[in-house]
Amino acid sequence: MATTTAAVTLTSDLLSDNMSVTASTDCMKAGTTADGLDMMEYGYVDIASGTAYDIIGNTPTASKASKLYVKNHSTDETYYISVVLDAQAVGRLYGGDWMFIPANFHDANADVEITATGGTNKICYALFHEGTVLVAS
Amino acid sequence: MATTATISISSDIAPGFGGISETMTLTQAGNLIDIDSTTGFQIRKLSAASEVDLITMANELVEPEDSQAAKIFIRNIGYRDVIDKSVGVTIGVKSEPIGKLYGGDWMMMPLTTIDADDVTATPETADTVVIEYVMFYEEA
Repeated sequence: MATTTAAVTLTSDLLSDNMSVTASTDCMKAGTTADGLDMMEYGYVDIASGTAYDIIGNTPTASKASKLYVKNHSTDETYYISVVLDAQAVGRLYGGDWMFIPANFHDANADVEITATGGTNKICYALFHEGTVLVAS
Repeated sequence: MATTATISISSDIAPGFGGISETMTLTQAGNLIDIDSTTGFQIRKLSAASEVDLITMANELVEPEDSQAAKIFIRNIGYRDVIDKSVGVTIGVKSEPIGKLYGGDWMMMPLTTIDADDVTATPETADTVVIEYVMFYEEA
């Protein structure tokens, strides 16, 4: 069984008692307890400002347990990408920000779309999944 | 007053994949000033397979600034030490499904914090499950 583990450590001193949260999960296929995700895409792209792009080239199988990591590696803190899913704005990743989400790609419109602002943003992404709909050549 | 998040991903799916380890400091939009507002850490116990708001943006006591650098961390922690990785809770924004958090799964994502863009949770079954979450944002 392939094993993919995603861990996070979140700390904050905004509250009077410092917060520290750690979490780790093994990324399993949808509805299973012993079968890990076994396919992945990993990429690094420059996204010029102004145009919306789908970050994932092939559509993963819908309603599965895919996990998507995206980081904006831009070093200018004023640069950002807007993340949109199925026409719904999700939020912005500024230079240095990352996100990690479950992405079930529930229909043909549910691609993860990003639009860069400020200049050319450098984006790293990794999708862990259990199958894609490949495009015939 | 810093808030940081470090992600580590390891995987043996692809030979040669060296893993990911990245840290971000949560800052305000477009500058290097630390983000300064939070909902605090919260939990929500869900016992029905119906959609609820985890965060209703218009009801926040401190109004978040729209379309800035807000982030939310959400985790499915199961119920009473039972974490079922075979069932999950669909997390959405304005009812648009983002994806499903199976038992033990976590996510960190940016948010618009626009009033209509509530963060929603829809359990797959009526079995009790607990979701923990914290949002960081800028005050309007």
